This record gives sequence, structure tokens and C-alpha cells, in this order.
Amino acid sequence: MGIISVENSDRLFWLGRYSERVYTSARLFADSFDKMIDMDLENYAVFCAQLDIPNIYCSKEDFCKRYIHDDKDPNSIYSNLMRVYDNAIVLRNEIGSEPIAYIQLCVYDMKRNRTASAPIVGLQKIVDNILAFWGIVDDMIENENIRNIIKTGKRIERLDLYGRLQADRESINREIHRLAGRITKTNLHYDKAKLDKLRELAEQDPINYDEIVALTDTLRKD
Amino acid sequence: MKDFELTRQSETVNELLARYGVKFGIYKNHEFKEQLFPFDTIPRVIEKEEFAYLEKGLKQRVMALNCFIRDIYGEKKIIKDKVVPEEFVYISSGYLAACDGVVPPKGIYTHIAGIDLVQGKNKEWYVLEDNLRVPSGASYPMIAREICRRSSPDTFESNCIEDNRYYTKLLRWMMDYVNTGGHTVILTPGRYNAAYFEHSYFAEKTGAHLATGSELTVENDYLYFVDYSGKKEKVGAVYRRISDEYLDPMTFNEESVIGIPNIYDVYRKGHVALINAPGNGVADDKGIYYFVPKMISYYLGEDAILQNAPTYLPFYEEDRKYVLEHFDELVLKDVAEAGGYGVVFANKMTAQEKEDFLNLLKKEPRRFIAQEVIDFMDIDILEDGVRKPRKADLRAFVLMADEPMVWKSGLTRFSRNPDSFIVNSSQGGGFKDTWVLSR
Amino acid sequence: MKNLRFHYHMEISFSEPVHSHIYTLKCLPVTTGTQLIQECNYAVRPTDRIQESYDSFGNRMLYGTAEEEHTLFQVDVTGRAVTGICDADAPGEKTDISVYKYQTVLTKPQGRIGKLLADCRKQEGSMQLSLDEKARFYMQTVHERLEYGKGITTIHTTAEEALALGRGVCQDYAHVMLSLCREDRIPARYVVGMLMGEGESHAWVEIYDGMTWRGYDPTNDLVVNDSYIKISHGRDYSDCSINRGVFTGQAKQCQSILAEVSEE
Repeated sequence: MGIISVENSDRLFWLGRYSERVYTSARLFADSFDKMIDMDLENYAVFCAQLDIPNIYCSKEDFCKRYIHDDKDPNSIYSNLMRVYDNAIVLRNEIGSEPIAYIQLCVYDMKRNRTASAPIVGLQKIVDNILAFWGIVDDMIENENIRNIIKTGKRIERLDLYGRLQADRESINREIHRLAGRITKTNLHYDKAKLDKLRELAEQDPINYDEIVALTDTLRKD
Repeated sequence: MKDFELTRQSETVNELLARYGVKFGIYKNHEFKEQLFPFDTIPRVIEKEEFAYLEKGLKQRVMALNCFIRDIYGEKKIIKDKVVPEEFVYISSGYLAACDGVVPPKGIYTHIAGIDLVQGKNKEWYVLEDNLRVPSGASYPMIAREICRRSSPDTFESNCIEDNRYYTKLLRWMMDYVNTGGHTVILTPGRYNAAYFEHSYFAEKTGAHLATGSELTVENDYLYFVDYSGKKEKVGAVYRRISDEYLDPMTFNEESVIGIPNIYDVYRKGHVALINAPGNGVADDKGIYYFVPKMISYYLGEDAILQNAPTYLPFYEEDRKYVLEHFDELVLKDVAEAGGYGVVFANKMTAQEKEDFLNLLKKEPRRFIAQEVIDFMDIDILEDGVRKPRKADLRAFVLMADEPMVWKSGLTRFSRNPDSFIVNSSQGGGFKDTWVLSR
Repeated sequence: MKNLRFHYHMEISFSEPVHSHIYTLKCLPVTTGTQLIQECNYAVRPTDRIQESYDSFGNRMLYGTAEEEHTLFQVDVTGRAVTGICDADAPGEKTDISVYKYQTVLTKPQGRIGKLLADCRKQEGSMQLSLDEKARFYMQTVHERLEYGKGITTIHTTAEEALALGRGVCQDYAHVMLSLCREDRIPARYVVGMLMGEGESHAWVEIYDGMTWRGYDPTNDLVVNDSYIKISHGRDYSDCSINRGVFTGQAKQCQSILAEVSEE
């Protein structure tokens, strides 16, 4: 009926954010894991520092296992995927059974992947399904507002991650531009002054990444 | 029955059911878990003529039940005429004094009835239970059919089977019929409810809005849905999947946090339809069940087409005597319990249990009903590729708008345990599709 | 017959501000066979919306919402009543009597009430008591068995528990008497109202004698007369609760009631 409650607009937003978090962290993990194969056994410490998550891991093996699968670790890919699922499952009305099925498949793949010796291969399925989810969201959901809220969540999360990872100016600029284009199409409450400030920050030299992250996280008002 | 191509596709079908998250929630050791609802590909098949007979009987039964509820909360003629003893009404936990004198939109109480039937070895159908509060389960055969058709199109091409996927159309038509003006909402207690999948699936398929109590608000005698920009939209029908008790903390359980304060007052003034009507529990009480055939002749002047399982009320002297004499042949049911709980087979009791039970029965005869154990007709299920006979029941769904409509399908539940008669999903059962043949 | 003025005041104070406060009140007296409410005004503060309705027992209800933050919620009801028009209330045709025959969660008897009834029956012996005499007898028995004491029982205390404690307030006296009457197959209902000289709201019992409802006050061992103004009735306390509310905010609430009844 085209009405979205406060609770559900919030869930759509976080569905976007967490799906992006799972997607990007799975890809970043793959890069990091690759480096650890040859030489840099401690590369996971750098990884944690970059993403600003506590390094609670005691070895490369421990990291690989827990960062992907540990349901007690709030920063694990598993925990973030469950947040995607928790938001998606209550949005059947807004996004539909077909899109939700892809999130459901991610959850099954994640559980199946627990015992695999090549975690990157397993994560690939999750990345595939998230991409399929985003694709079907674009293709099937008629309500533009719903699409825009999900995408706003996704854009905010990506800018946040890029800020933490200190991505190059070009990437940051592109993400700010994409976010600005999206959030203005929704009815979400956001701080326009902060959006302008973000644009300004991206031009400064050197880029103040901390401030970009801080502004991104508080851009949307409840 | 010959093997269908479909039965060879069991794995594919169950994989697809998992893909669409066809699950129910369950609490184990206080922890919420989602479980897949095991599906068996061998369908229950009901011939066209046989279903026509069931359909007639079900319509009649639900019509009478609706009359009964209207009467109980209105003139109470059936009590005055001493067809139903008044204590069975007033002591029933499903009787709600707050419903007295309240007439729902279009006079409909039993919008959705789930009637549980079993078929005896003698081919006779018996009604085991009427569910008139929030019967669940129609979504499962509906989505299973969708998936079976995809997995094994040949099976459906070569058999004439009534398509059951129109259930949500019936549902929508019924909801629109009673709507008092405004949007239609499916009210869910939330995703930690056992049947949450069904709530969200029906919302998607009917186009109704899925909401929790906190998203709805009462203002000036009307019910509104509030969207995130603060805009209020009037609601005219609520298919509520929460029980009467929790519906409105201002009238019923004061502790409820999943209901909508004062929604009952809006309903009382006729400004919203509640599906099903509050207070229906008075008619699907296990004690009242005994009287349904009497209701049919009382209100409709007809003989009951569908029979009850032979039932005795220890409340009546004569029946009590029978129960004591034939105790070992009977199954005893506590009228206050639901979901397969509070059901005991006398022949499985130890001597001590029997003694305790008989004492309890003498003390609280109103609390129990006794039934003959029906020799169910078994239905095959596939277990590791082998056909095995199991007990199964059928929940038929009857929707009531200007007249009762029987869904040409139903939920067939089976017990996975070969020794058990209890088919409830909460106790580990599985389900089957129900095919009604169109030729 | 008396001409009475009444002022009923209820307030709830909250330890912290609350908002989105939704309430339902049953505190408006209605005209019955024994009393005529000539005038009745109410004020609820704060409130944004207020609606009126009747519940299924025939009690008059107010319900609404106070959206803004507040720490005090007040209800005032004032008016004039003529009481003692008749000494019993004949029910309208639509009134369901049977609903008052059966025990509820709060009145359901266990051993103690059963024993009390047996004691009563022994005392009655072969005396052929009229229904009125019987009710007076039960009223007197309850009055003797319980000692008035505040803060010992709560709104959830059952008749059986109150009898075991031997102490309670008007609500407990009424529940024990209801339980006795119903156990003896006399239809009986719980009544909330006001009483001259009482200062707070009061509760008593009405029994149905086959034609009319008659009031008995076991707390005071008095047959209800023209000093009483009735507000509501139901099967037990929970059908008549004066105030129900839900609100947003972490606050302790404290309710106080003042009921003044005086002759004009």
C-alpha cells in the first residue's frame, strides 16, 4: 500500500548498510587472506586496524575462522550477515519473497562454508548472492522510495568503509557524489550541512579521514 | 497410488522450500530457533465427489458456529433453550465478557476457520477440532504447490488438480468484504512468532500491510497506520495474528506490549473489522465441540453432514459412567490445552497415572472430554526413499464473506513418529500438499 | 432518599516525565434503578483526545491519549445525584445475569472458602433463610472473618488468599463475599462506588434475588442505602478497574484517590 512505517524505513536503511558491509568485508578479507598465504602472517592486524575493529585474534588460522564464522564476534562477517537477515526477514512486504531468498541463500552458504578449507571460495558464493540481491532489488521493487532507502544505506556504509580504509581522493569523491545523489531522493531526514561539509572535506589536502567517517555516520538523523 | 514424477523430486522441492525460508519458529530451552517445516512430496489426494461432500459439510458447520457465537454474545437463545448448558459457555477460557453485545462488521465472527479432520479406516471423515481464533497453516501447501509445479511440471500436466494458489485471493476478497473503510493490515506479534513466515507471506500475496502493534494507533475512535513521515492512514480491517488476550491491554491482558491500546473500543463502535472476531474461543473450546452437531440442527434445522469423533462429556452423569467403564479404550483431552498438549491415551497410562487421572476427572469433570480412538487411515510418507505409513490429519480452511467459501486444498500434517497420533508441527510433524481433483 | 454532591479526584504522579500516555477510565457514575445522576462533569488533564463509550457491563468509559510529557495526570469528576430512589435495581432486559454466577480467577474458591461456606451452612442449620437474609448473613460472616488493614493485600490478591491472611481492604471483603455467594449459586457482582464519609473510592457487592440487584457492603457490614453512589460493576475487581494506562517512559507511578460525597 506504499506506506512505510518508521521502523521499516529504518530497517531498509540498515539492510542496505549491512549488506554492503558483508559484501565489502568479504572482498577485503579475500585480499588480506591472499597476502597472508605467502608471507605476511600478521597482516590481519593491519586489516583490523584499518577497519577499526578490535584485534581479538591470536593467529592467522584463528582470524580466518572467527572473522568469518564466529557468531559471538560482533564484527565477524557472520554476525553482519545475520543482521542483514534479521532486517530482511521482516521486510517481505516491502521487498518481496524473491529478493529475500537471496539473503536466505547467503545464510545457508555461510553455514555450509563453516568446514571448508578454502574460505575465499565459500565467500564467493556469498558475494554472488549479495550482488544478485542488489540486482533483483533494482529489477523487481517498484516502489522507488524503498529502493532509494536501501541504496542510501549502502552508500553511507561504503563511504564509511572507504574513509576508514583511507581510500584515494578519487574514490572518496565518487562515493560522496553517489551518496548525495541518492539520499536527496528519499524522504529520510538528513543533515544537509553535513553533506556540504563532506564535499568540502574531500577537497582538502591532506584528507581528514576521521572527520569524513564521523560525518558519514551522523549524516542521517533519526 | 502410482509414483509421481514429483516424488522423485523430493530433494529439489525441499531445497526450494528452504530457499524461500518456509519455516516456523520454535522455542527450545528458552531460545528462539527457526526450523524448516519438513515437506513430504506424496500428496493427500481427495476425489472431486468426496471433496464436494466435505465442502458441503464444512460450510454447514462453519455457518452454525458463526450463528452460535453471534447468539452467545447476543440473545443467548441456545442457552435459554437448554441445548448448551450455560456453564460450558461461561467457564470456557475463550468466553470473553467484553464481547457481550458487540456486533462485528457484517455480523461475521468466523472469518477464517481451520477445521481439523481425520479419515478413518472405514473411509469416514470425522471432525477432530474447530479452530476459530487464529488458525494457521494455509501458506504452507500454497507455497509448496508453487514449488512442486516448478519442480515437476509433468505431474501437474497429467493430473487434474485444482490449483490452490488462489487462497490469498479469497483472503483478500474476504478482508475487503468486511473492511469498514480504510487500509487492510495484517497484525503480527513479530518475527519471533511461530508462524511469522505465514504472516509476511500473506501480506506479500494479498497486498495488505504487515504491521506490529507499535505501528498502529487509535485516534478519535478510528485506527490509523502511521508512516515514517508522520502521515496517518485510516485502517478498516485488521487480520490479526495475535490472540484475543494480547490484542488490547486496555480491555484484555494489561501486560500486553504487542497489542494496540484501545483498538477494542474502535471495534466496539464498528469502525474497524477484526479478523477473526475476538471471543471466538467460546466456540472452539474442546467442551463446546461436543455440541456442534446440536448447534447445526438448532440453528440451521439440518442434520450434521460431518460427524464428530464419538465424544463423551464426563460432565453428564451418563457419559461419566461410560467413560469409567470403557476408560482404556478412550483418549482424554484437557479442554484448556491446545497444540497437541493435554492429550492422553488411557491405554498408555501406568496404574498410578490412571488412578491420579480418575481422581482429577471426578473432581473436575468439566475439564475433560473423552473420545473413542479413531482408527486413522494411514498415509504414506517417503523416508529415505521408502514409502512408510503414518498418521495424518487434514486442516481444511473455510473463509466467510457473504457466504462460506471452502478452499480447495488444505494442510495435511503427519506424524513422523510411527507410533504417534500427534501431528502438530510444534511437536515435530511434517506436512503434505492436499490435492483436490477437478475431474 | 438523599440529594448528594460528589467530587471524585484521581491523580497519578510519575517519578520521571512520561509521554504518549494512553488511558481508559471507568469513574463516571450512571443512572440506575436506585440512583439518578442529575449532573456529571469531568476533566482530564493533560489530554489531547478524549472519547466516551460503554463497556459490555454497561459501565461508562473515557479513553484517550496525553501525547506531551507530563509528571502528573489528574481526573476530576463532579456532579449531583439523587440516591435511594428505590432500594433495589431492576436490570434491563439485555442484562446478562448468568455471567455473574461463575467464579473468576480472583474469586475462585479453594479449601478455605469451601470450609467457610460449610461453616455457614452448619450455622444456618434448618433455618429457612430468605435470599436477603442469607446475603446479610454472608456479609456479616465476611465482616467478622476479615480485619481491615491497608498495604497487606494487592490488586492481584484472590479471595482465597485474603481469607487466609485474614486481613484486607474493601476489595478483598467484596471478593470473599462474591466467592461465597457464587459457591452457593447466588449470582453476585462486584461494585465500585463512593460512600459518604469514606474519602476514597469504595467497593461492595450486589446479589441478584431473581428480580433485582441488591447491594451489601461487607467492609462496613451495612446494607447499601442512600449514602452510596455507584460507579461501575463487573464480575470482579479487574472488570471495574478505575484506571488502565500505558505510557512511554521509565517512571514509577503513584496513584491517589479522593472521593467526597456530601448532602446538599
